[in-house]
Amino acid sequence: MLAYVMRRLGALVVILFGSSFLLYNLSAYSTDPLADLRLSDAPNKEQLILTLTRELRLDLPPALRYFIWLRGVLGVFVGNPNFGLTRENEPVIDAITGAIPTTVRLVLVATFVAIVLGIALGITSALRQYTRFDYGMTFFAFLLFSLPIFWVAVLLKQYLAIDFNDFLVTAKITPGWIVGLSAAAGFFWAAIISGTRKRVTLIFIGVFVANSIFLSIISATEWLAYPRLGPIAIAVLGVGIAYGVTYLSMGLSDKNALKTTLLMVAVGTVSYFPAQAVLDSNRPRLGMLVLFLILLAVSVGGAYIFARIDRGPIIRTSIITSTLIGVLILIDKMMQAWRPFIESDDVNYRPVATIGQSTIWLTEVPFWVRVLDFAMHLILPTIALTLISFAGYIRFSRGTLLDVLNQDYIRTARAKGLTERTVIMRHAFRNTMIPLTTIMVGDIAGIVGGAIITERVFGWQGMGTLFNKAINSFDLNLLMGVILFLSTLAILANLIADLLYSVLDPRIRVGAGK
Amino acid sequence: MKVTRIAKVAIATAAAAGLAVGTLSPANAATRSTVVLVTSNQLTGLNPSVSNMNLTFNSEVAYMQGFGFNYYDNSPKLVDNKIFGSYKIVSQKPFKVQYTVNKGKVWSDGTPINAVDLLLSHVIASSSYSFTAKLGDPTDNEVAPAFNSLSYGGVYDEHHVGLPELSKDKMSLTIEYDAKIPDWQIYGPGPSPVHTLVLMAEGKKSLQSVKANIAARDKFEKAFYSYNTKLMTAAGKIWSNDYNINTVNDSTNPLLLVGNGGYILKTAVPGQAVTLVLNPKHKSNPSGPATNGIKTVVFRIIGDGTAAAQALRNQEVDIYQGQPTADSVNLLKAIPTAKVIGGDQAVYEHIDLRVDNAAGSTDNYTGPFKGMDQRAVDLRTAFLTAYPRDEIVDKLIKPINEKAVRMDSLLVFPSEPGYADVIKNSGVSKYTQGSQAEREARALALVKKYYPNASATNPGFTVKLNWGTPSNARRAASAQLVKAALGRAGINVDAPGSATWSRNLASNAFDAFFFAWVKSSVTQQGNANLFCSDCGNNYLGYQNKVVDAANTKLGAVLLSPKAKLAEYLKIEKELMKDAVSLPIFQHPGVTAVNAKLQNVKPNPLSPQLVWNYWEWKYSK
Repeated sequence: MLAYVMRRLGALVVILFGSSFLLYNLSAYSTDPLADLRLSDAPNKEQLILTLTRELRLDLPPALRYFIWLRGVLGVFVGNPNFGLTRENEPVIDAITGAIPTTVRLVLVATFVAIVLGIALGITSALRQYTRFDYGMTFFAFLLFSLPIFWVAVLLKQYLAIDFNDFLVTAKITPGWIVGLSAAAGFFWAAIISGTRKRVTLIFIGVFVANSIFLSIISATEWLAYPRLGPIAIAVLGVGIAYGVTYLSMGLSDKNALKTTLLMVAVGTVSYFPAQAVLDSNRPRLGMLVLFLILLAVSVGGAYIFARIDRGPIIRTSIITSTLIGVLILIDKMMQAWRPFIESDDVNYRPVATIGQSTIWLTEVPFWVRVLDFAMHLILPTIALTLISFAGYIRFSRGTLLDVLNQDYIRTARAKGLTERTVIMRHAFRNTMIPLTTIMVGDIAGIVGGAIITERVFGWQGMGTLFNKAINSFDLNLLMGVILFLSTLAILANLIADLLYSVLDPRIRVGAGK
Repeated sequence: MKVTRIAKVAIATAAAAGLAVGTLSPANAATRSTVVLVTSNQLTGLNPSVSNMNLTFNSEVAYMQGFGFNYYDNSPKLVDNKIFGSYKIVSQKPFKVQYTVNKGKVWSDGTPINAVDLLLSHVIASSSYSFTAKLGDPTDNEVAPAFNSLSYGGVYDEHHVGLPELSKDKMSLTIEYDAKIPDWQIYGPGPSPVHTLVLMAEGKKSLQSVKANIAARDKFEKAFYSYNTKLMTAAGKIWSNDYNINTVNDSTNPLLLVGNGGYILKTAVPGQAVTLVLNPKHKSNPSGPATNGIKTVVFRIIGDGTAAAQALRNQEVDIYQGQPTADSVNLLKAIPTAKVIGGDQAVYEHIDLRVDNAAGSTDNYTGPFKGMDQRAVDLRTAFLTAYPRDEIVDKLIKPINEKAVRMDSLLVFPSEPGYADVIKNSGVSKYTQGSQAEREARALALVKKYYPNASATNPGFTVKLNWGTPSNARRAASAQLVKAALGRAGINVDAPGSATWSRNLASNAFDAFFFAWVKSSVTQQGNANLFCSDCGNNYLGYQNKVVDAANTKLGAVLLSPKAKLAEYLKIEKELMKDAVSLPIFQHPGVTAVNAKLQNVKPNPLSPQLVWNYWEWKYSK
């Protein structure tokens, strides 16, 4: 194993050397850093050209300049790396380390949502194989596959930012929209739950009516303009969460699990009141941590009180429930900051942003307004990235689950008389995760460098923007820094995927073949 | 039963909600106090006089932070800023100009401004000062001087005499020149907070008291006149390097941010935005201490045109100078909350023909246009005559700027005085007479003189045309039109387009070139130096004694407007006779502005949009 890893790392060095030499020379020959100056009408043009030649060592051929650059990079091994300066005299390493958190923020949420939603829809689709829902999902997935992100971004900005902001001025939902949205929700749920014609019709009508009422209330109360949850809504939603999580993980027949999660809902709702003071304090991050730890302790304690058998899974279920309720409390806190946020001069009643990472000039505002600002800037790029990347997860998890469901051990599990929930969640789903995991690793590595277009259309300053900028401003040091970082990441991700595969599936051993 | 209960609940909720709505009336938006501009570049430094910080955007930010004796308006014409100070000629022979700072002007740290603050302009522009004070040789290729300035070797450097003299009250500075140089106004000094350089050289990291600031300035004055190498070198290192930052926040040394303009830099986040806030002590810009209620000016960095247009539509930004393409203009015009301002840029597209070897080239030019004999001149004339300039303007430029016209003078823009006279007498008429079809016929006749078999289907000779690609749809379309029109005149045009087109400008492999020149300032010499023999921007190998003489005259002494136009005309006549170059059109500019924001007047010259920032205001 160790020998295998060392061998792979050795190959990494060779690949990086070769590719960086090639790319350095190709880039150097393809660009002309003096282009602007050749057209300059400055009286001291010659002087300017000399200065730049001196700064960039343009007097040397690119192959030689590469080794000057390489000497700095090899400083990595003596603890003194020098990736050079950008054209703007900023150390390349600073530019890259500055861009990584932005890219991670952009990619992390989108990838997480894409994985969760993609797998959920994929599994539902597999369980309803060859139904209208399945065909619908297949159509949807291929539709998303074929969408170019710059176009998706333009549409999202038009409908979810510009039009939605216009709509928020009154926040009145027209009857047409209420009927349309409710019908869509009705079709969706009727298709998922399915059954006899009568049952489907009933579900459709039920969902349609419930949705219409819900939307009418939202519209009448201008809830979207003045959003809030409050303890009552948190309690109601919490009970829903408790039932849902318990159903998926333990089954509703497990009364102990249900009692524990319901206890967590009660504790969470009560903690809403002290939480306000904690979150309003001047150390909100510390407050959140304390709050989370308390909820964690209570959920473990509750599980110990109610559960006699199956303590481990019940603790897990209860932790998931309390985390979700904690998230609800935070969402409520952000909603409380909504009015001060949109009424500020800088936001000016246009809360959903189309561009940038934040309203930077929004200074001296409460912590939660600042958080809300970040969230409103994150929302569109996240939706765009999620939309185009989760189609893959839908198709992949559907295919894998169908494959697993045809295995003998599933038939055995059903023959044993296990409930369908246990068969799916415990036996089938876990095995579906093995190939999915390796895909996720590669995906995350790829997406870090691949968000160039997303970053550009949404004005984010991450790795993609750096790469783009390096090319456009003939910035060889920056370009090489980014390429080096991305290629290292790609090679390492492949290595990790290979290793993970052997960890998850004992039948695979790395480095065994001689 | 169940349904009725739901209905009751719904009705009750709706009623309660209705009550709630009644009490919550939407707040009225107050008049905004923030202006957000779109820029596609990011801040790379606060001192645009240093080579690696000399970018348009840095200059715009610097412009808002400091104000001196004059500025360009959008005519563009040089306007004196009488609020800050005044300048006058105190002696014609020797030629001396006195610059006086008005009393009561202060830096943003409260320090009163006086003429000592003008001395830095001399330090950063005078090679002789750099030598005498042992600050380094500005012409050295290996080691940069202490003040790594772009101004060395410029007009001021060549023409100033001795050291500037301070008046007794230190409010005036007198500068002597060796002659009455043209455009002497724009080479004069500007104010810089020299005390901050001294303080930073002493290692200070925070704002000091006014008393300490004045003491520091006195040190600078003394060091300046005594050629104190140690202090000046330390100040020079700060001036050349410490301003080279792309991030500004609370931990930035506030001494770097001292200025006298209307706004002072507050934050800069790379790739995101640059924020300036109102300078509470601003008294130097042309509005004096008055403001229009705009407290914050933000430059938001957006590289993508569609994204910028949508941000404008979403009212996240207020001013956007768009890409001048027909599509983007239509997109901007469709925004209900914005108004679109058209106009011209100080950039013009033109077609150049190679006459002889490019300066500095080692091989020989052997193309059809070589030399000044009748054959070469005729072929060049044929090429320029058939060049479809009207078609290019009508098809590619008019959709963007309805008022666009074909340009017929290389040295005078159509909007400038004297344009009509120049084009009437320059001889450009031989390229403009008749319709395009008639011109093509004339060109074909000229080609047939040397290639009797030439026709539209059988071209006489091939011209290699250099133009810039990619990402410029307009130039690609232009090249197509040119190829078609010249084909009809019996000239085959080989125009592949090249990403490294600027390198090819000095290549003998190409016979013709179309690209754009920028007029970066309005000087008397103007663009005349594009055509002088062996001048830096003359890539054509063109040499003409009449042109050289006129160019030298324009660069040497101040002429009356009439005499200046006479020299321009001399140059244009030669250029038209020798068939060297023709202008095509002035680049259109498109600016979209929040409909409520008043007084945004795009300026063709840098600083394009912010030149009159003190006039901006929101209507109710």
